[in-house]
Amino acid sequence: MMGSSDPAIAVSELTRHFGAKTALDSVTLDVARGGVHGLVGANGAGKTTLIKHILGLLRAESGTVRVFELDPVADPVGVLSRIGYLSEENDLPGWMRVDELIRYTRAFFPRWDDAYADELRRAFALDPYAKIKNLSKGQKARAGLLIALAYRPELLVLDEPSSGLDPIVRRDIVGAVIRTVADEGRTVLFSSHLLDEVEQVADHVTMISHGKIKLSAPLRSIKESHGDASLDEIFVAHAGEA
Amino acid sequence: MNARSPAAAVAWQFHRRHRWGLIALGAYVVALAAIKFAVLGGQRFAFRNDESFAFSVIVPTTATFIYFLAVFTFGLDGDIAARESIYPQRLFTLPLSSDALAGLPMLYGCVAVAGLWFVTRVFAVWPAGARVPAIWPALLAASLLAWTQALTWMSYPLRGLRVVITVLWLSSIDAIILAALYLKASEPAMLAILAPHVPLAYLVARAAIRRARCGDIPNWQRAVGSHSPRQRRAFASAMSAQVWFEWRRHGRSLPILVAMLLPFELAMLFAFHDTRGIVIEVFMMILFTPSVIAAFVAATVGKSSTFTHARPMTDISLITAKLKATLWSALLTWLLVIVTTALALRLSGTASVILDDVHWLSDAIGAPRAAIAIILAITFLIGSTWKLLVQSLAIEMSGRAWLSKASLFATLSLIAIAFPSLLWISHSKRAVAALWNSIPWIAGAMVCVKTLLALWIVSRLFDKRVLSERALLIGAACWCFAVLALSAGMAAIFPDIILRHYFLIFVAILQVPLVRLAAAPLALEWNRHR
Repeated sequence: MMGSSDPAIAVSELTRHFGAKTALDSVTLDVARGGVHGLVGANGAGKTTLIKHILGLLRAESGTVRVFELDPVADPVGVLSRIGYLSEENDLPGWMRVDELIRYTRAFFPRWDDAYADELRRAFALDPYAKIKNLSKGQKARAGLLIALAYRPELLVLDEPSSGLDPIVRRDIVGAVIRTVADEGRTVLFSSHLLDEVEQVADHVTMISHGKIKLSAPLRSIKESHGDASLDEIFVAHAGEA
Repeated sequence: MNARSPAAAVAWQFHRRHRWGLIALGAYVVALAAIKFAVLGGQRFAFRNDESFAFSVIVPTTATFIYFLAVFTFGLDGDIAARESIYPQRLFTLPLSSDALAGLPMLYGCVAVAGLWFVTRVFAVWPAGARVPAIWPALLAASLLAWTQALTWMSYPLRGLRVVITVLWLSSIDAIILAALYLKASEPAMLAILAPHVPLAYLVARAAIRRARCGDIPNWQRAVGSHSPRQRRAFASAMSAQVWFEWRRHGRSLPILVAMLLPFELAMLFAFHDTRGIVIEVFMMILFTPSVIAAFVAATVGKSSTFTHARPMTDISLITAKLKATLWSALLTWLLVIVTTALALRLSGTASVILDDVHWLSDAIGAPRAAIAIILAITFLIGSTWKLLVQSLAIEMSGRAWLSKASLFATLSLIAIAFPSLLWISHSKRAVAALWNSIPWIAGAMVCVKTLLALWIVSRLFDKRVLSERALLIGAACWCFAVLALSAGMAAIFPDIILRHYFLIFVAILQVPLVRLAAAPLALEWNRHR
């Protein structure tokens, strides 16, 4: 039985290569339960690769990944049924209508909350009869967020969720959703290369560069130890890039 | 590489994207030339008959032509049943006119297929000495390619309409050419018939790209009237949701495509109801339509995405959903074929032609055996349709494009080697006798290989805990039951004196799918957790 002090995600000495490129180099990371954990890094730093390992979509070459103490590759059902996931690629099936997407997704999650799903659909102004492929990029992100949130997952994983989106959608994702989820005592892992966005909501920040963890600490202590410098400046100081 | 012009850049893109296929093709031509020179030593080699010529020359040429069709229509990149143009959207943003976007791939495609004909002709005429026409087949190939490009780049108001219109239009061109050949048209006459096709196809393609480039996609569904789709009740389980997903994504393509083709085939029963031979041919064509279409649909069935991989389902559940959806697809298709064909036979007055053959079979082998033979034939047709849909799952679900291409190349190579080899054997009575005597040994060896592969796959499934012990036992029991039922059915038709019963068991073991089906969960596991 997992205690509340155990981390939601425990990554240990994780290494991954893609051909000659080292995508992750002995990454060790614990994500505590509750709160928002920001994963920041430049494009190609290894954020998505790390998240794919957490979801079990990539197998660890060396090292271990545990989510709620489960191996996501060995037990995909046990892990994925507790995670809400929104990807940067937003690969929702374009042929589905919004109502079909909701009806299809709810079948996988016994804890699906119909009232909450309907509330989110209205808040996000999503037409239930619109086809996914006809939605704008922002609406697709909202649809993806809806099906990631409506079963109130224990862990919400957002991989560059607001990349390329307009400020209103970013506000929906960053301001309203992430804080709400965290305030309910659930965990959010949130990757972004937009450091100001992470600075607004994260309790804990991990900086990753060239597949290595450069810094991982509570945001408050990071700011204090760097004399209240912005996250941009701190990141450049540690990773050598903006 | 530094492309010096847009035309060179587009050509380079085709080369870069399909270089391995083109290299394999080049290697095949070089190997063929080497065999002609080294083995035959420049001697003339006469084909025994038209079938020999067809298998040695036409089969590899046709396979290559189909490959070129897929390459130059961009058919490998898109959904061929979709309403939207299959022309890659990314190319629409290039600073090129629609004339160039249509013209360049058409030009390269026409040159490639015409080149294919001229290479084929060199090998057919020399040293084999076959009498084949000079130029018009090249123009026919170019015309078929150009029309396929034009029709696949066009946007359509209904999903699947592209396939029907393309098949019908190309069949019409083929029918005109066959009629001209029947009337012994000369080479200049054939050239005159074919000459307008490429320019016309170009004009159609250019118009199609102009419309597709500005997102002009007709929609009959919307034209009929917008209505709010009815609310459906929730799925009973995750499995039923996933089966629905697979059905909507891949399962309904087969019955829809067959339903689109059937009216044209059934109409031939009415048109030729007086000609017994044609009625039999049309009937056979109808029976094989689901399998032919299934072979094309199968290419999409194995596709899966990160969205699917992120579902909280086991690998085996995801595969089971695909198998269930494809089974429903095959069953619905055959229900459609059986009901509509029976109706058409009755209404066209051609049922007696088929019933006469059934009576002849009944008289020849007895009513019980005839009944078993018909049940087995129907089961075989339905089973082979389903098998065609799922047999490539193990390759497609791996998500490795190189594996799909290597598999396709290996299949084509096998065909290219097997047919000439069989022809060579057929030339010698002693070789035919030796082959005939060794068929049980060959079948036995294939059974051994299949069994060993199955055992290896089962051990991998067990080691990786993809399948539980109980699931493995249930799967093995089902497979054994299917083999025994098929063996018993065949044994009831063929007495032991005609075909040894152990041989029938070999046939049943080889026929009932096992290895590729069992490998599908491993392939998905390999793809899902890379």
